Amino acid sequence: MRDLLPAEWMKAWAGRTWLICAASGSFMSLLASLGYASDTDKKITEQHMDLATITNDSVRAWMMTFLFASLFGAIFVVREYTAGTIGRSVLLSGTRTRLFAAKALVGTAMGALSGLLAVALAFAATYGALASNGHNPEITRETWLIAAGIFVCNVLAGPWGVLFGWIIRHQVGAVTTLLALTLIVDPALQRLVPDVGKFLMTIAMSSVYRDGKPELLSEPIAFLVIAGWLAAAWFGARKLFLTRDIT
Amino acid sequence: MTGDAVVELRGLTKRFGTMTAVEDVSFEVRSGRIVGLLGRNGAGKTTSLRMLLGLMLPTSGTATVFGHRYQDLPRAAHRVGVSMDGINPLPGTTARRELRIWARALGLPAARADEVLGQVGLDDRADRKVKGYSTGMKQRLALATALLSDPELLVLDEPANGLDPDGIRWLRTMLRSLADEGRTVLVSSHLLAEIEQTVDDVVIVQRTLRYAGPLSDLTSEGTESLEDRFFSLVGSQTGATGTTAKERVDA
Repeated sequence: MRDLLPAEWMKAWAGRTWLICAASGSFMSLLASLGYASDTDKKITEQHMDLATITNDSVRAWMMTFLFASLFGAIFVVREYTAGTIGRSVLLSGTRTRLFAAKALVGTAMGALSGLLAVALAFAATYGALASNGHNPEITRETWLIAAGIFVCNVLAGPWGVLFGWIIRHQVGAVTTLLALTLIVDPALQRLVPDVGKFLMTIAMSSVYRDGKPELLSEPIAFLVIAGWLAAAWFGARKLFLTRDIT
Repeated sequence: MTGDAVVELRGLTKRFGTMTAVEDVSFEVRSGRIVGLLGRNGAGKTTSLRMLLGLMLPTSGTATVFGHRYQDLPRAAHRVGVSMDGINPLPGTTARRELRIWARALGLPAARADEVLGQVGLDDRADRKVKGYSTGMKQRLALATALLSDPELLVLDEPANGLDPDGIRWLRTMLRSLADEGRTVLVSSHLLAEIEQTVDDVVIVQRTLRYAGPLSDLTSEGTESLEDRFFSLVGSQTGATGTTAKERVDA
């Protein structure tokens, strides 16, 4: 494992997947963040929003990066199936269990990096956007909790994507499933059946980055739900990876 | 220079639904030998090798290397080097970067990657993206990866595919020199003429085992060609077992 982890870490940086995921997540979050931070005077005078709320909304917009952290995690696994490299990875890892664990750990580490980048850019974008309107952001304890939530969601999204990759093993399938769950299925279920929807993975994450909707789970319960989803995905993915043929 | 069985297949069978890809195949590979695993496309060569290496689970039977299932063999990746048809390089890497990643996974110094690049003649193109490599260059890279850990056993699946005549001659010399160093080589191929010049022993499969033993016994010390003996054992393309290539040409 001591040798395998650095090798998987090197693999994570091979190619441009990390760059595309980081750039796409940052670009989309930036657009949303600028939207929240624009027309500051109008929002304050006409919509009676305070600067702290605008600051929090602008920072929270960077939660979108967790989707791209999970996409990276999935592609990190699935591209080896697509390219036909997975057989070599298994052979050189000694056991499938070690490879499975190494990929999950590296996916988590990449998620942490994504989280750090997201938080840094969230504050920088918020400062920049508000300064251009002649304001300074009002950083409160809530702002720091939102930023911490974004970081944690990115960290957790890394292994979530990796486990999805092991389960689906198909690049287009894994990417579209993650996109659909995060952007369509989970939000739709939350609206249609909120009592059920709040227990879905990405909706539970919105408790962590403090989306503020009253129907969401409390943070401790949300963490338990996320842990449950990760545990279920871990056991399912592990079972499939250890028993399926590698062709 | 022959010794104990390095590879042992016993009653190995693999079914995919109702289709039987490999049926009751048993043979041994003894140390220090170059063994050719022959068969048509779809004969079950790659499936047998994948079962040997733990990439596929057999429906029944056993396959061992050095007396253990690959996945149970201590330091398996250090003892067995593999170049397998269908196992491709990492996307977005150069040959040097790819080999350094695998060297890291094996706990080997980065310099070892440069050594094997020289060994397979890729050192002057090592910093080009693998995506732009020809099939022959990819074969050399796959062989370099197999050689990284300086293994006792090499399992090579169709290593001559895509090689030009120079590459095939280079491969033949390389395999012989590896065997002369005491390594064991199990090489699958459907290039009969090439195999005939390279191997000590032959295993012929066509879903079931058709022959396993010394090449010299199969060809009656060279009085018959491997091609003729191969077709007499596996049958013609239409399945008429016993028809030799010569007979088919004459017909």
